[in-house]
Amino acid sequence: MHKIAEVEIQHDIMVANKKLAKRNQKILDKSNVFAVDVLGAIGSGKTSLIETLIKKMNLKIGVIAGDVISKFDANRFEQYKVPVVGLNTGKECHLDAHLVEHALEDLPLEKIDLLFIENVGNLICPVDFDLGSHIRMVVVSVSEGDDTVEKHPLIFKDSDLVVINKVDIAEAVDADEEKMASDARMLNPDAIVIKSSLKTEKGVDEIINVIENFMNG
Amino acid sequence: MHELSMADAMVKTILDAAEKNQAEKILEATIEIGKLTMLNPDQLKFLLEVLTEDTLLEDSEIHIEEIPVEIECKSCDYKGLTNVDDSDHYLIIVKCPQCGERDLKVTSGRECNVKNIKIEKSD
Repeated sequence: MHKIAEVEIQHDIMVANKKLAKRNQKILDKSNVFAVDVLGAIGSGKTSLIETLIKKMNLKIGVIAGDVISKFDANRFEQYKVPVVGLNTGKECHLDAHLVEHALEDLPLEKIDLLFIENVGNLICPVDFDLGSHIRMVVVSVSEGDDTVEKHPLIFKDSDLVVINKVDIAEAVDADEEKMASDARMLNPDAIVIKSSLKTEKGVDEIINVIENFMNG
Repeated sequence: MHELSMADAMVKTILDAAEKNQAEKILEATIEIGKLTMLNPDQLKFLLEVLTEDTLLEDSEIHIEEIPVEIECKSCDYKGLTNVDDSDHYLIIVKCPQCGERDLKVTSGRECNVKNIKIEKSD
């Protein structure tokens, strides 16, 4: 005889990632490491911004560099003699808490004050995956088009710090950086929005101040 | 495109539950997807079909249910469903339907839940 049964599962895949993310944050807190998830499209300037912050911030910095297949970004950070773990996602378009958990095992956390977790270049998929960072910083460059913010609402809704980058070339690429900033503020009134250029160093001190303020609670 | 990894995790979750419950056949499975997740239901469905080949789920009916977006407004304390307007893709996350203010928190609509399965098993 066969019978038919209904089985309740109620297993949320996102919740599973969130639990791991919380565990990551506990590990970071135990070693007093403040972590920033750095999000943004390919070419937005995430790696260059982190490089600039490594050079300018008077803190012990570590980096997890997420990339699909290469170690290019990880190699760029290594030249600054900071602890770096390169993470290759293979076919995946985002980092997740599980990958970050393993990367944390390979970092000397007791020697790090501030950890940048550079996500894979993508404005869509990383949104769904908390990593355990304390804040999310999204970098968007004017060369992506000044409608990029309004076209990707969730990532801006979810970020604590929005960096509108490469404003020195806004005119050349016919982009209105003020529109991008106001779109970000409209989507997320709590976010801090900074217009920057890594070439002229516009906004860099402000970014540093904001990160340090978050670190000091 | 993370539909593949999500579909893979869903299939594993369902097959695990089926095995634990000594299922001989899985008749139906229900998955709930929040409207705000970055998952495309059609792609997800296609990948589920591919991934379930030669498994207990091969001939099962997989239902994908959408979970609506709910918000909490920090200005007027409204809690509940928000406006859904497919012509304005971000209205739902930026405006309270009660007071029109923008300072709100999304409380529901980002789920990716394997809800239940209907199985056939021996007595």
